[in-house]
Amino acid sequence: MIPEIGQLSLIFAFALSCLLALVPMYGSYSGSVRALLLAKPLAIGLFLFSGTAMACLMYAFYHSDFTVINVASNSSSMLPWYFQLTASFGSHEGSMLLWVTILALWTALVALFSNSLPLLMQGRILGVMGFICVGFIAFSLFMSNPFERSLPFFPVEGRDLNPLLQDFGMIVHPPLLYVGYVGFAVSFAFAIAALIGGKFDSTWARWARPWTLAAWLFLTLGIMLGSWWAYNELGWGGWWFWDPVENASFMPWLVGTALLHSLAVTEKRGTFKSWTVLLAIAAFSLSLMGAFLVRSGVLVSVHSFASDPSRGLYLLAFLLLVVGGSLFLYALRMNAVRSQARYQLFSREVLLWGNNVFLLTATLVVFLGTLYPLFHKELGLGSISIGEPFFNQLFYYLVIPFSLLLGLGPWVRWKQQQLPPLLKPLTLVALLALTLAIGYLAATQSLAANLALLGCLLGAWVGMSAIGEVYQRAQQLGGFSLGFTRLQASHWGMTLAHIGFAVLVVGVAMTKTLSVEKDVRMKIGDTVELNGYHFTLTDVYALNGPNYGGQAAELEVFSNGEKVTHLHAEKRFYPLQKTVMTEAAVHARLSRDLYVALGEELSGPSWAMRVYVKPFVRWIWLGGVLMALGALLALLDKRYRRAPAHVDVKVRETTAAFNGAEHA
Amino acid sequence: MRPKMQLFSRAFARLLLALCLCPAFATTAAEELLPFKDAQQQALYRELTAELRCPKCQNQNIADSNAVVAVDMREKTYQLVQQGQNKEQVIDYMKQRYGDFVHYQPPVQWSTIWLWLAPLLLLAGLFWVMLQKQQKVQQLQQTDAVDPELEQKLQAMIEQAMAEKSSKEPD
Amino acid sequence: MRKSLFFIPFVLFIALAAFLFSGLFSDPRQHGSALVSKPLPAFLLPDLMAPQRMLSADDLKGKVYLLNVWGLWCPTCNAELGFLTELRQQGIEIVGLYYVQPQDSAFGETFDLAALQKDVAKKLAEQGNPYQLNILDEKRSLIFDLGVTGAPETFLIDAQGQIRAHHVGDINPQNWPALAAQYQAVLQEAQAAAALTQQSIGATNAP
Repeated sequence: MIPEIGQLSLIFAFALSCLLALVPMYGSYSGSVRALLLAKPLAIGLFLFSGTAMACLMYAFYHSDFTVINVASNSSSMLPWYFQLTASFGSHEGSMLLWVTILALWTALVALFSNSLPLLMQGRILGVMGFICVGFIAFSLFMSNPFERSLPFFPVEGRDLNPLLQDFGMIVHPPLLYVGYVGFAVSFAFAIAALIGGKFDSTWARWARPWTLAAWLFLTLGIMLGSWWAYNELGWGGWWFWDPVENASFMPWLVGTALLHSLAVTEKRGTFKSWTVLLAIAAFSLSLMGAFLVRSGVLVSVHSFASDPSRGLYLLAFLLLVVGGSLFLYALRMNAVRSQARYQLFSREVLLWGNNVFLLTATLVVFLGTLYPLFHKELGLGSISIGEPFFNQLFYYLVIPFSLLLGLGPWVRWKQQQLPPLLKPLTLVALLALTLAIGYLAATQSLAANLALLGCLLGAWVGMSAIGEVYQRAQQLGGFSLGFTRLQASHWGMTLAHIGFAVLVVGVAMTKTLSVEKDVRMKIGDTVELNGYHFTLTDVYALNGPNYGGQAAELEVFSNGEKVTHLHAEKRFYPLQKTVMTEAAVHARLSRDLYVALGEELSGPSWAMRVYVKPFVRWIWLGGVLMALGALLALLDKRYRRAPAHVDVKVRETTAAFNGAEHA
Repeated sequence: MRPKMQLFSRAFARLLLALCLCPAFATTAAEELLPFKDAQQQALYRELTAELRCPKCQNQNIADSNAVVAVDMREKTYQLVQQGQNKEQVIDYMKQRYGDFVHYQPPVQWSTIWLWLAPLLLLAGLFWVMLQKQQKVQQLQQTDAVDPELEQKLQAMIEQAMAEKSSKEPD
Repeated sequence: MRKSLFFIPFVLFIALAAFLFSGLFSDPRQHGSALVSKPLPAFLLPDLMAPQRMLSADDLKGKVYLLNVWGLWCPTCNAELGFLTELRQQGIEIVGLYYVQPQDSAFGETFDLAALQKDVAKKLAEQGNPYQLNILDEKRSLIFDLGVTGAPETFLIDAQGQIRAHHVGDINPQNWPALAAQYQAVLQEAQAAAALTQQSIGATNAP
């Protein structure tokens, strides 16, 4: 019964999305205020119904209703209840419904929190969101229905959830990632609404900015969580593999970052208009393309869903309609827009342009690295692989100038900046960064590792510069303590995000160069030494989980004769899915991780063990979290909270606008 | 004769070491799964198994995969590294059998050069756009605010500088 | 000029969509072989059913045949046996290359040739025997040199011992015609060459 209610809710949601796509758009052309005013209740209803559908699916999973095909093939009665719930978005069908629900949630949020927008704009934005909803709900409903039943014959036991997904990471990673992905639909809708309306003043950018920030915040967290999850679950200590699916989430992030910076220019200076609109379209287009790549099976990836060409065809058609249509509209409308802003070569505008140039180049690198093998093969030139060595090589060359620029950026004023006043503080920052990086490395590690040194230098430069700039700005705003309180939240946000980037760069460089590992065969009582840590295997015993068996190893870690920690590593076997999973034992500290993975049993009895010491690997995720926190701070800035105009006033404005247009 | 001697003395040293250490530590040192002659060879092996792609798997390098092919390739890599082959030789060996597909770094050839060229062109192109814009802005500003006096002064200064320069330079 | 610049993103996207469209209909797991138009790698391996007889690449020269990599452990290979037997009845020559999976020596698993011979004979008696002979590759050395990633895989070898095609996956009535065309072409080539050498010694080389 419950799955049928879910199905029905999804059908209602589909009907509402169709109305949302049509009615306000009609209103925006005919000037019908009543049609425009309908957008808000339609959007909220859309969310209520798709939310109900998602809840029904979760209910079916929670109660192990194996008459539903989706439940039978992705869950089992032995699965712990929290994984039963998350299994509802573990499959293609379920995750599509989650995607739809989140898209509807964003639509409803836009409807609720855009009261300060003119009615026309509001209607157009929600209309565009509605159109995107139509596409995805139809896909979910007609091409990958999560509620399909297998009556009258159904299995007594499900096939269980993919063990890789039975992890805390699965509970939080997909929702966060999707909130981020789909969130770019809002900036996209703003851009399209502006294109339809043909008005590109800076108010458009001001409206779009907080929404973009919010989407970017969640995407950052989602990607970081995915990386952290892979690190813990895959058992080889990797945190990024440049897999097509990872890249699919990284591209919208890069363009989203560029968009945030470009929006700042458009809001503050009224220039870069056509560029910002293009980025807003590109960010969401790349999200859509990511969905296509993951679900169509055109690329081989460790994470991709079971693929089906007809689904791929549908998504490609939708992609063509949405992205092709918006780019065409862009070409038609944007060539008339010119910005008249004046700025010198050494100005914040130009530096932010530099930021955009590097981010876009990085996006192109990821894009080519992901899709070039496909192009190469389709052109009959043979199969090639593109992976870590290629990306590392190119990102190495991109990060250096980008970081240098990033350290400089916040100091430089809009319009025009004279060099001399900057020389003193920047020299100071550079000297400080040099001392810090070289001093630290000389004291603790070694200066021989070039990459580590470079990473620390760049990180220290960006971080010190961000701190120095805040300090200077606070001084200007009336002294040390007073100035700090007077600084805008968005300024703090920027600073924090830049420090986050610095932390990330240091983390990546240090982990890449200074990690050590050993593959050993251990009997009980054996000790392996790595970087001054002595790992002793004290016990190995059989595991008895709710839906898995396997072995667990206990290790004691000593350093200089003192006990550091106790580690517990597992190797699980999931009989229903016939897969083996490594649960690595990790002891995390800010300066290093100890990481042990239990391998297969060898004769003896002894066990293959992989032991790592990974310096600064935490900094990678810490950097990501700082960036997200920065976005949160910026989001809390006062200027995004203005009193909304009363509906009556807006109705009068809209009517007046249309009457005016008729007279003209 | 010599290698045998060495072997003997090494075994003897190990025995001595074991005798000395046994009372001090209750534990024995774990042995490496794949022993190498030196740290360089070990590092090379790690690098190679991370950069070689398992041809059967979804998208994994041979270090992380347990498919039969990946295990065989790891073993072959181990043998070749121990024989003293360098990175290029091992990769060539694998490419002869499994094609370019097997290496995560694409070869540089006319069909793949765009992987490096396209980002470079984009980078250059976007900076060029900014410079073009700047030139336009400069022109606009010049037409906006032409101060005849300043212009004259500047012109005079330029001429003076030119004259000085040419007088210093020998013909 | 300026107007047309704004169409660049649109045009690029359409080109991308075309590639993605064609990508939908090709299997990303199929990747070309590095061995096509190279000679069959040198080997010296026993005949599965008569292990005292050692086979080398030269022993197989002089005729056009399919080299089929298979193993009893591989269900797709077993499913393929029937169709391959039909092909043999049509006069296609097929040589088997038996793929032995690694044994877990840690747990006392050893390679038992006698048992394998018995199992293979039984299976071939049940399903049909497509093979002229079977090469036993216990250590997967030839298999490795051939760039085989799994089973079944099939190579088309010409009379000079050159590899002309590498097919990954099973051979079935749907995909056989394409391979059959290649087989016939190679066969005709071999017949023409044989006729030419018979005709005259002083004749010019065939184009």
